[in-house]
Amino acid sequence: MSPDLSIPGRPSSIVAGDALPVLSRQITQQMIDDYANASGDFNPIHVDPEFARTGPFGRTIAHGLMTLAFAAQMLNAWSEGTFDECGEIDVAFIGPVFAGDVLTISGVVEEILSHEGRAAARVRLKCEAGERQVLAGTAMQPLESIGKV
Amino acid sequence: MEPFQRYDEVEIGDVYPTAPLTFEVSAAVVDGFLAATGDGTGLYARESDNRRAPSMMASVYLIDLLMARRSPPGGIHAKQAIRFHRPLAVGETLGIQARVVDKYVRKERPYVVSDFEARGSDGGLAASGRITSIWGKDR
Repeated sequence: MSPDLSIPGRPSSIVAGDALPVLSRQITQQMIDDYANASGDFNPIHVDPEFARTGPFGRTIAHGLMTLAFAAQMLNAWSEGTFDECGEIDVAFIGPVFAGDVLTISGVVEEILSHEGRAAARVRLKCEAGERQVLAGTAMQPLESIGKV
Repeated sequence: MEPFQRYDEVEIGDVYPTAPLTFEVSAAVVDGFLAATGDGTGLYARESDNRRAPSMMASVYLIDLLMARRSPPGGIHAKQAIRFHRPLAVGETLGIQARVVDKYVRKERPYVVSDFEARGSDGGLAASGRITSIWGKDR
């Protein structure tokens, strides 16, 4: 039997199957360079087209952590900023993101469950560059924090 | 000392850096991050008295942490798990440190798994998580 995760007097407004907002970004070399400047990660595979031409992808790729930053932005938009306060994310970087790609990030609430004694939504993330999946994983968001239990 | 650490020198239990790395969540660092990634949420407005910083500033301080590990160039960031324990404020200082918790070879690729913690000046956790990297070629 499933645990009762409801809080009396508060309506349930997030349910399994809910779609999260879609964040879309056109990735440019300038964005990758800006992220390198912000993070201090000047690995030539990201910022040196000449070097990257000889590498496994034949051209520069965006930082995986930059893609993760976009995923966090989408989760914060959905959770009204509470992802920043108590969210969790667990991802694998499974494909490169190139300058020129249009990155789309979204997710679906997979399950409402009890996580460390709190009601939480487990979200299956969806992150694609064009037709290619570039990131796979889940996020966990406690629901009490956003008043949506 | 070699400029980078070899895979066979990495041991489970290694802590890096030996003393926690200091990371200041300065307005300049936050602005640089937001300039690169945008802010579609409006959560981090400059005008705010108690200005909040994106928790995913972790994607910046984790780079500093990985550099402290002295891994060779050409490595790949394979997986990342992060848990946020509280919001971040512009102006605060974090102490960041990691510990190697596993290493293994899969499909001829050498992996290193580390758990990290970012703590505020009061010692409380701001963020924690796990980094899984494929080690770059070291020979």
